[in-house]
Amino acid sequence: MSTITANWKKLLPSGIVVAACIILPMVMEIGTHILSLMVMLFIYIILSQSWSLIGGYTGQINLGLAAFFGCGVLVTHFIWSIGVPIYLAVAIGGISAMFLAAVIGLPTLRLKGVYFAIGTLALAEVCRIVVGNTFTRMVQMPIYYVVNYNLISRYYLGLVVALIAVGVVYLVTNSKLGLAMAAVRDDEEAGQVTGVNTFKYKVLALLISAFLAGLGGGVYAFFQLTFQFVSSVFSPLWTFQPLMAVMIGGVGTLAGPIIGSVFLVILSEVFAITLGEAHLILFGILFILVVLFFPYGLVGSEHKVRQWMARVRRSRLWKAI
Amino acid sequence: MEGVIQTIVYGIVVGALYGLIALGLGLLMGIMKFLNIAHGTFIMLGGYVSFWLFTLWGIDPYLSIPLVIVAMFLIGLLLYKLTLSPLLKLPHIGMRISNSLLITFGVIYVLDNAMTLVWKADVRTVIASYRGEALNLFGVRVPYTGLAGLGIAVLAAIALYFILSRTYFGKHVRAATQDAEAASLCGVNVQQTYLISCGIATALAGIAGVVIVSSYSVMPTGGLSWLLMGIVVMVLAGEGNINAILPAGIILGLVESLSVFVVPIQYRQAIALLIFIIVLMFRPQGLFTKRG
Amino acid sequence: MLEISHVNVYYGDLQALWDVSLTIGDGEIVTLVGSNGAGKSTILKTISGLLKPKTGSISFEGICLDKLPAHRIAGLGISMVPEGRRLFPQMSVLENLEMGASIRVARKVKHNTIGWIYELFPILMQRAKQEAGTLSGGEQQMLAVGRALMSQPRLLMIDEMSLGLSPLLVQEISRVIKDINKSRKITIFLVEQDVNIALSMADRGYIVENGRIQSQGTARALLDSERIKEAYLGISPVGKGS
Repeated sequence: MSTITANWKKLLPSGIVVAACIILPMVMEIGTHILSLMVMLFIYIILSQSWSLIGGYTGQINLGLAAFFGCGVLVTHFIWSIGVPIYLAVAIGGISAMFLAAVIGLPTLRLKGVYFAIGTLALAEVCRIVVGNTFTRMVQMPIYYVVNYNLISRYYLGLVVALIAVGVVYLVTNSKLGLAMAAVRDDEEAGQVTGVNTFKYKVLALLISAFLAGLGGGVYAFFQLTFQFVSSVFSPLWTFQPLMAVMIGGVGTLAGPIIGSVFLVILSEVFAITLGEAHLILFGILFILVVLFFPYGLVGSEHKVRQWMARVRRSRLWKAI
Repeated sequence: MEGVIQTIVYGIVVGALYGLIALGLGLLMGIMKFLNIAHGTFIMLGGYVSFWLFTLWGIDPYLSIPLVIVAMFLIGLLLYKLTLSPLLKLPHIGMRISNSLLITFGVIYVLDNAMTLVWKADVRTVIASYRGEALNLFGVRVPYTGLAGLGIAVLAAIALYFILSRTYFGKHVRAATQDAEAASLCGVNVQQTYLISCGIATALAGIAGVVIVSSYSVMPTGGLSWLLMGIVVMVLAGEGNINAILPAGIILGLVESLSVFVVPIQYRQAIALLIFIIVLMFRPQGLFTKRG
Repeated sequence: MLEISHVNVYYGDLQALWDVSLTIGDGEIVTLVGSNGAGKSTILKTISGLLKPKTGSISFEGICLDKLPAHRIAGLGISMVPEGRRLFPQMSVLENLEMGASIRVARKVKHNTIGWIYELFPILMQRAKQEAGTLSGGEQQMLAVGRALMSQPRLLMIDEMSLGLSPLLVQEISRVIKDINKSRKITIFLVEQDVNIALSMADRGYIVENGRIQSQGTARALLDSERIKEAYLGISPVGKGS
């Protein structure tokens, strides 16, 4: 807590934004479209923070995030439908994803680097195939839930869980656990030599990451009551889009995933409105350009932008203007 | 007993296709340490080119292969120039792999949606006159399309082997893989070598697409599942071990198809993936390379 | 033949060479001496094109090398034996040699050149089909030199020839180098940590320290100079500056 009070000037902008998120829907009439967008934004923030923990801080590229997300969605959906209150159902969804992580994690975490990535991708695909073949028909909540749907409560659930996710990642990375994770990332072999039990920390990071992703899935289950193809929640897109958000925003930072998610959600929405059919294509092109010119992400490239600005100011063109 | 042989034959045919897909992937990964996940999209693109050649001008898919090769080769050059060559400036290999992952994911985004826009999301397939017809060999049905696919995969693997071991270009590729700086000191234009390799890898994807469109079907987003199997084969063969790719593919195909004796048919891909993960745990260097 | 003029070279933001100037004349054997990390390899890498100078220029027989990529520089007749040899480990001895002849003009006369290399280093012919990675240190060095010679260079640069080699092998390779300098008029630019070897082979030398040229002179003059005696001779090769 002392660091928070010490840095209050830096944290003020974020504090204002959070306060606005909390207060505005209570005092203003915000359209359903924007509210839905915000819910998706919160989910992406949760998922990208989740990925950032295992991928950014611990350096293990997890391409199977969708499995934890999907698990959270399914478990929350069914637990909620039998009458358990939603907050509890979401929490249980998160815990179930943790169990899945324990099962998936133990074999795959013994793999190094790119093999871990491919292994998790393969396992997530296994989950998708199994789920897709088990739930062949549409899945939806009982009528009571559909009729009583209230978007505002989805918004606040999403906000709360997103804040929890950011908070968890902050606490973990600033603790001894976080130091150990950074050690694992920077040099796995060196970490082992200095006595850090790399396997244990990789497992811990994966478990926490899975828990957060499961929570995100729970929020989505609350938000989306009907699933035509259940396997869609296990689609690799749920891994890649948060990954995109983290890479765009900046790996290994707390703000990076948030900024990246905002970028992702807001921009794709802007493109959808202004460009219609072609918007996804242009979004993809923009994404490629960002990766090419900001290989360390937007947040990580701050110094690059400053360097460039300095050069611009020094240039004759600028002086001429 | 016939059922078993039929399953084995099917496994070999599918496996050869997996191997064909992995050839292009493995080439790029081995030489430049790029993971091109857009490979699946290029496969679909190749399939579409063949589809339109057939639908508009009646060109048989297998005869269209030379055209597909040329078209896809050029597209591969473009891909390299626009998106991949800037990555070579990155400091270390880890960043190269992860950024190539991201950029090619962006490419998937762009191309998949472009294809959906232009050609609609419908599933397309080529029904040539011989589709569904099969050769009857000792009571075992071997579809003509399957046979053709197997033949093409073998031809492609042999051609690639020949290029890599007998031509100057192939030697440049192998040298650049082992030590790019030393190769340029010898006078090898490494950038150009990479460029052409990218073209070849994309052309291979196109060929796979032709086989897929005539034996199965294509749709704009269909590339990912084929890609995954391609990645599996590439890992099983071992990094940089191009010659082991076709055998590894066939092994994967056999495992997948023989699993029908153990689990319901819809789960066979899942079983293949699970077995792959187990293999990965004990032999991460692949089935064919020695450890280290 | 080769002229380096006020060259400044950086590794990223870190400057490695300051205002370096030197010349190499046709048919000479010139050497660069200096302790570890002094910048000797950096100079060679800059000439060969692996590094580019931020300021200053390099010209070879009148052609400006500043903007040329490494493979084009190799095509002009400059060949380098890199530090650590940098062979292609999974290719055979023969294939490594063939790679050395990658430039067009060398390809045509490849077979003759290989024959010449086998004369210079008979052991390579014996090991022709063997993978380069399985050769001994001395054999690898011979292969590296042979590979560099395959392009029929007019300037041969060698980076740390004696590293890890027995005195006998070093003598053998030095003999070959002096021989090709005389018989084929190949100019030699040698970077060598062992000052004795360097100055015994060379006509002229430059001393590099901390990225700058400290002094130059004929090999004889340098050997006699007090500075050299103090700084480099009498101290074991492993000792200073590593």
